[in-house]
Amino acid sequence: MKQLLNFFSSLKVTVVLLTFSMALIFFGTLDQVQYGIWHTQKLYFESFFVVWSVPEQTAWHDQLFWLHIPLPGGYLLGGMLLINLLTAHAVRFKMTWKKSGIFLVHLGLILLLISELMTDLLSVESQMPVNEGGSSNYSNAFRSNELVFIDSSHPDHDSVHAVPAALLKPGKTVEIPDSPLSIRTINFYPNAEIGRATGKTIVDTPATEGIAVNMGIIVNPKEEIYAENDINTATAFVEVSGPEGPLGIWLVSNVIDERFPPQMVSVGDQSWELSLRFTRNYYPFRVELIDFKHEKYPGTDIPFNYSSEIMVHHNEANKSQKALIYMNHPLRYEGLTFFQASFANQDKTSIFQVVRNPGWVIPYISVLLMGLGMIVQFGIHFFKFLGKRRTA
Amino acid sequence: MSILSRYLPISCALGASLLFFGCDKPQPVSYLIPKESREAVVPMPVDTEKEAASASGMSVLPGMQAAADAAGDLKYTSPAGWIELPASGIRKANFRIEDENGAAELTVTVFPGDVGGRLGNINRWRGQIGLEPSTPDDLPEFTESYSISKHRGLLVRLEGGKDSILGGLLPFHGSTWFFKLQGSSMTVLGAEPAFREFLDSIEIPDTHH
Repeated sequence: MKQLLNFFSSLKVTVVLLTFSMALIFFGTLDQVQYGIWHTQKLYFESFFVVWSVPEQTAWHDQLFWLHIPLPGGYLLGGMLLINLLTAHAVRFKMTWKKSGIFLVHLGLILLLISELMTDLLSVESQMPVNEGGSSNYSNAFRSNELVFIDSSHPDHDSVHAVPAALLKPGKTVEIPDSPLSIRTINFYPNAEIGRATGKTIVDTPATEGIAVNMGIIVNPKEEIYAENDINTATAFVEVSGPEGPLGIWLVSNVIDERFPPQMVSVGDQSWELSLRFTRNYYPFRVELIDFKHEKYPGTDIPFNYSSEIMVHHNEANKSQKALIYMNHPLRYEGLTFFQASFANQDKTSIFQVVRNPGWVIPYISVLLMGLGMIVQFGIHFFKFLGKRRTA
Repeated sequence: MSILSRYLPISCALGASLLFFGCDKPQPVSYLIPKESREAVVPMPVDTEKEAASASGMSVLPGMQAAADAAGDLKYTSPAGWIELPASGIRKANFRIEDENGAAELTVTVFPGDVGGRLGNINRWRGQIGLEPSTPDDLPEFTESYSISKHRGLLVRLEGGKDSILGGLLPFHGSTWFFKLQGSSMTVLGAEPAFREFLDSIEIPDTHH
């Protein structure tokens, strides 16, 4: 036991781990060219192991295609570093006033490692587009989709029954909560090209109902893409069943949205609108865009400032507030952070990045602790040095 | 041993929290929302034009419009006598030619990907003027390699009965550009020198070099 603790607490392990971290960042940066930042983060830093190989686009791929470099992933390195630091404190460090600065620095480091893990596991990013004069009470995730059945029969509210796209696995059956329906996935494509067949193109589709049949929609599956601003056209064929058995097979896709006629599923006199859409998060408040400003440097198209003047209407009136969101000046509200992310529609629509990160404040605390620790540690040395000079 | 027991609770808590978060599997849910109208929050111009359908075999869906918008503006010189119509929707340029033999129309469109491949596109065009599909071996009979905007493209010459097509196909950094002159045979074939002149004048903004 003692040996194990000694091993984990050793400084050699720290050096090895830091070396691997540097290698991980180096190869991760290389791969970012082909995968984009989001996917690279998943592959390299939110994982335990990763294998790097020469990207196909590079000149040396033909000679070095056989080369594969296995590396420990971010979770493994971060976890090991955390254990290393904790055991080192348990085994080697003695808490003394002389070393209090180092303790503060280490405490900051531990907090930083934990907050990184929390951010990876708990933070949720989505986008909220709002038109000038309009408002929105939800945001869209742009990397995940959901299959929804919407019952609009009630005069006061709509009832949404949502199945995350991760559960749409071919052949799998999912019961739709609070409804007599169930679905069986025939096919799911993370990305596809969707078009309308014309002329002599033969439409070969498993669908038996809805838009695919009425409009002659054809689906060409494509490889999933990960680049920053690219969006995958998630598409599926799903069989919907009522209490009496199957009702038909529908084509759903996140590009078949409000611009197309609704696809309806009916059982008796009850009906639901069926669609696949970017996963929505609804909020108990509504963000109204009063004015969006897009200022450019005079005589150029180079943006100088974007800003959105908004009014947040909360269901509880006393929580409503006005705000101005611009670059580096987000709105923090109800545990969410609203950043000015983009704009569209000839400057009539503002797009906010909505981030829920319960641990956002921890990195600030940890950096403060580390800064304080360094001041204390260097201060102690400095005053000791001064004292020595005086006695000399 | 006392050291271990001191740190055991912390490591257990960390391990347990990892397990807890790791098991956060997606679940079907149902919830109520305030009444919503079926209105797109960001209205996009989706002009599902019939003309566009004939140029590509598909009508415009959002991704295609985005690709057309992203493709940048085309530079060209319009030959004398061609009537230039405004570009619209996914059409990057649009002309009408009229002479004593009839009329023809030239459209320039761009789509993401290879839109079914070279042979598929040529056979679609053949179908539009009543010709039988061709095999890869027959292609050289009515196609020739042709440089468009400093990239290797293909000139297609399809002689039909009543109608004919002169076409240019250009794979360009992941998209495909289509230049199609279609109309009454005499007009189209008579306009071949002007069509080649038009293809020679084309400059597509190239951000990849």
